[in-house]
Amino acid sequence: MTEPVLASNIMLATMAGAMMILFGAFYAFFFAWSRLKNKASYATLAYLSYGIFVVFTVVLVQVLHLSGYWRILVALLLLGYLLAPHGIWHLCVGTHPHEEEIATRSTPGKSSGLS
Amino acid sequence: MNKTPWWASESFWRKVAVWITGGMLVILIFLTFDTVKKITAGSSRVPAYSVINKRIYYRFNPERGFMEPVIGDDAPLFGKMLSEEEAEKLVSLGKMTIQAKNCMNCHTLLGNGAYYAPDLTKAWLDQGWGAESVRENMMVSFLMDPKTNGRGYGTMRRMPNLGITEEEAHGIVAFLKWMSSIDTNGFPNNFKTIPQEGDQ
Amino acid sequence: MSLLKFDYSSLTPGKKLAVKYFIVAIILFGAQLLFGLIAGAQYLVPGLFYNKLDFNVVRMVHINAMVIWMLYGFIGSVYWLIEDEAQTELVGYKLGNLAFWIFTLAVAVVVVVYLFIQIGPGNQTSLWLINEGREYIEAPRWADIGIVVCVLIFFYNVAATFMKGRWTGIAGVLVLDLVALAGLYLAGMFYTPNISVDQYWWWWVIHLWVEATWEVLVGCIMAWSLMQVLGTPRKIVQTWLYIEVALMFGSGILGLGHHYFWIGTPEYWLTIGGFFSALEPVPLVAMVVHAVYDAGKHDFKNRNHPAMAWLIAHAFGNFFGAGVWGFMHTLPQINLYTHGTQWSASHGHLAFFGAYASINIAMWYIAVQKLRGDVPFDSRLPHAWRWKSALALLNIGVLGMTMALLISGYEQSFIERAIEGSTWAGYFKAQTAKWFMQGMWWRQVFGYATALGYVLLVWDLMTIGKDVPQSVIEADRKERLHGQKTRG
Repeated sequence: MTEPVLASNIMLATMAGAMMILFGAFYAFFFAWSRLKNKASYATLAYLSYGIFVVFTVVLVQVLHLSGYWRILVALLLLGYLLAPHGIWHLCVGTHPHEEEIATRSTPGKSSGLS
Repeated sequence: MNKTPWWASESFWRKVAVWITGGMLVILIFLTFDTVKKITAGSSRVPAYSVINKRIYYRFNPERGFMEPVIGDDAPLFGKMLSEEEAEKLVSLGKMTIQAKNCMNCHTLLGNGAYYAPDLTKAWLDQGWGAESVRENMMVSFLMDPKTNGRGYGTMRRMPNLGITEEEAHGIVAFLKWMSSIDTNGFPNNFKTIPQEGDQ
Repeated sequence: MSLLKFDYSSLTPGKKLAVKYFIVAIILFGAQLLFGLIAGAQYLVPGLFYNKLDFNVVRMVHINAMVIWMLYGFIGSVYWLIEDEAQTELVGYKLGNLAFWIFTLAVAVVVVVYLFIQIGPGNQTSLWLINEGREYIEAPRWADIGIVVCVLIFFYNVAATFMKGRWTGIAGVLVLDLVALAGLYLAGMFYTPNISVDQYWWWWVIHLWVEATWEVLVGCIMAWSLMQVLGTPRKIVQTWLYIEVALMFGSGILGLGHHYFWIGTPEYWLTIGGFFSALEPVPLVAMVVHAVYDAGKHDFKNRNHPAMAWLIAHAFGNFFGAGVWGFMHTLPQINLYTHGTQWSASHGHLAFFGAYASINIAMWYIAVQKLRGDVPFDSRLPHAWRWKSALALLNIGVLGMTMALLISGYEQSFIERAIEGSTWAGYFKAQTAKWFMQGMWWRQVFGYATALGYVLLVWDLMTIGKDVPQSVIEADRKERLHGQKTRG
C-alpha cells in the first residue's frame, strides 16, 4: 500500500466509500425493478446510478492514491459490481422456475412451512 | 421440478457453499501459520521482551512510507538490565494486570478497546511524559495514584484508583515499553514522540 | 396477572424453552440500554460514579449484555423453529432446561461479580474468577467453560432432534454453524503476554462469530421465517441459504483481514483486508436484487405485521450498518485515522442493531403471536400504535446515535489522529472539541429515545393481541380456511 489519505480528504474518502455502497445498491435496485416492470426508464435510472457509483469509485481511487495492481483490482471491482445484479437476477429466475406448481404439489404434511 | 437449470439447483449451490467455505478456511489457516510465526515475540515485527532493556525510537521509513519502531542502544528499564526470562516475566505481569484491571474498556491497545481514554499503543513514547529521565517514575506514580497525579489535560476525565501495586505498575510500564516496539504498519500515523537521547 | 395471560400450556417443549430464552434476552436487552445510558452520561459528566462504577465497568456490562442477549435470542429462535423443521418433539427438554438455568445462573453471577468486585490483582486468579479484561469476551474463564458446555448441550439437542426427526438443508447448515460457533469460542480461551498474538486470536472469536457464524445463524432463522410468514417454498429458500452462505463466507472469512492492519501482523493483511472488504457488500447486492424480485412475484400479505416490519428493518439496518457504515472506514488508507475512534462505535451501534437486534425482535413477535392463540396481528390489531411507536423510536434512536457518533468520530479522527498525531494531549484536545461534544450530547438524547422505544416494546409484547375482538378472530379463521381451500 499505502499512502494514507490526506487529513483534509478524510471526509471525502469516507463519503465516497459510503456513496459507492449506496449507489451500488441503487443500481442493483433499479436494475431489478426494470427487469420486473419491463420498463426502459428504470433501466436508465439503474445505469445512471451505476455511473454515479463509478464516479465515486474514481474519487476514492484518487484520494486513496491507489496505484499499480490496486487499479487493476478496482477495474475488476467495477466490472464485478456491474455484472453482479445481472447474475443474481438470472439466478432468481433460475431458482424460482415453477413456484406456483411446486407450492401446490408439495403436501403440507411433508413440509409444514408451506401450509 | 426438474426444469431448474443445474446452475440454479439446490445441490449445485450446496457444493459451492461447502467448497468456498472450505477453501477460505484453508487459506486462512495457511495465513495463520505464517502470521503467528511472524508475530511471535522475538521476530522482527514483534521484538523479544528483553527489548525493554533498549531505547525505542519511532521513525519515518521513506521506503515503507510510514513510521516504524527502531531499536537503539541500552536504556534499561528502572535502571536494571533483565535477562530474556526476567523481561518476559515482568511484561507478562503487566499484561495480566492490564487484563485484571479491565483497562481495555476505557483505553485502546493497538487501537482496539474503548474510546473513553487515550490509545496506549505508543504510550511509552508519548510527549506527555516530558522528558526521558523522569518518564518511568512519572508513569509509576500515575498508575499507583491517578487521582493525585491526574492526566486529564484540563478535562474532568480522570483515571480511577485501581489499587495497582508498585510491582504491578513496573510490569505495566514494561509492557507498555515492549508494546511500543511492535511494528504496527505505521499506526498511529504521524505520531509525535518524546525526545529521546540520540534522537534526531 | 391478566397482563401476562399467555397460552403457555399448549406449547411444545422446544417452544417452551424458547420462551424462557426470549424472556432473559429481553431483560438483558434492557440492561444493555441502561448501562449504555450510564456510559454515555459519563462522557458528559465525567465525575459520574467516579471510583464507584467507572466507565470500564459500565461499558463492559453494556457490551456483554448485548452479546449475551443476542445469543439467548438466537438459541431461543432455534428452539422455537426446530420442532417445525424436524417435525418431531425436542429430544432433550430436561437437559435443555437444565442448561438454561445453569447458563442464566452463571450470567447472573458474572454480572454480580462485574458490578461489585469489578477488578482484581494482576494474576491468573483474577482472570479465572473476576474478568479476563478482553473486550467482548471479558467473562472469566470459569464462565467461558460454562458457556462452551451450554452451547454443546444446545448443539446436542439440535443435532439429535434433527436426527430423530427430519434432516433438512437448513438443519445441515445450522448444525455445522453451531459447531463453528462453539469451536471458535475456544480460540479466545487462553492467556499470552504477547498482545499481537492475543489480538490475532481474539479477532477470530469476535469477527468470525459476528461476521460469519452469527450471520449464517440469522440466515437460517430468516429462511425459516420466510417460509412461515410468507409461505415461500422450501426448495427456493434452501437454495438461497446456500447462495448466501457461499457469498458470506466467501467474503467474510478473509474479511477478517481488515482487523489485522495495525496489530503487528504482516503487511500482506493490508491487501487481503482491503480486497475482501470490497467484496463484503456483494451479499448485500444479492439481497437487494432478490428482495425486489420477491416483492414483484408475491404479495407480502401476512398475518403478523410487527414481525414483517422488523424483518424489513433488519434488511435496511443490515445494509446501512454493515454495508455502508462498514465500507466507509474499512480501507487501510482511511482506517489508519478512524481505527480506535468513535467511528467504530458509530458503525457498531447501527450494525449490531440492524443485523441482530431487529431479527430477534421479529422472532419475539412471531412467538408472542403463537402465545396469544395465533390471533391475527394485521390491520385489525387493536392498539397498533404501540408496536409502531416502539419500532419508530428504536429505529430513530439507534440511527440518531449512529449519526451523532459519526460526527464525533470524524472530529476525533481529524483532530486527534490526523493533526495531533495521536498523542495523549491530542486525544484530549479532540475529546473537548465543540463538535465532538455536540455529538456526545445528541448521542445521549437519542439514547433516551431508544430506551423509551424499549419500554414501549416490552409493554407491547406483554399486551399485544390481548384485546382482539372475537369477531375478528372468527373472520380470520374463515379467511384462512378459505385460503387453504383455494391453495389446495
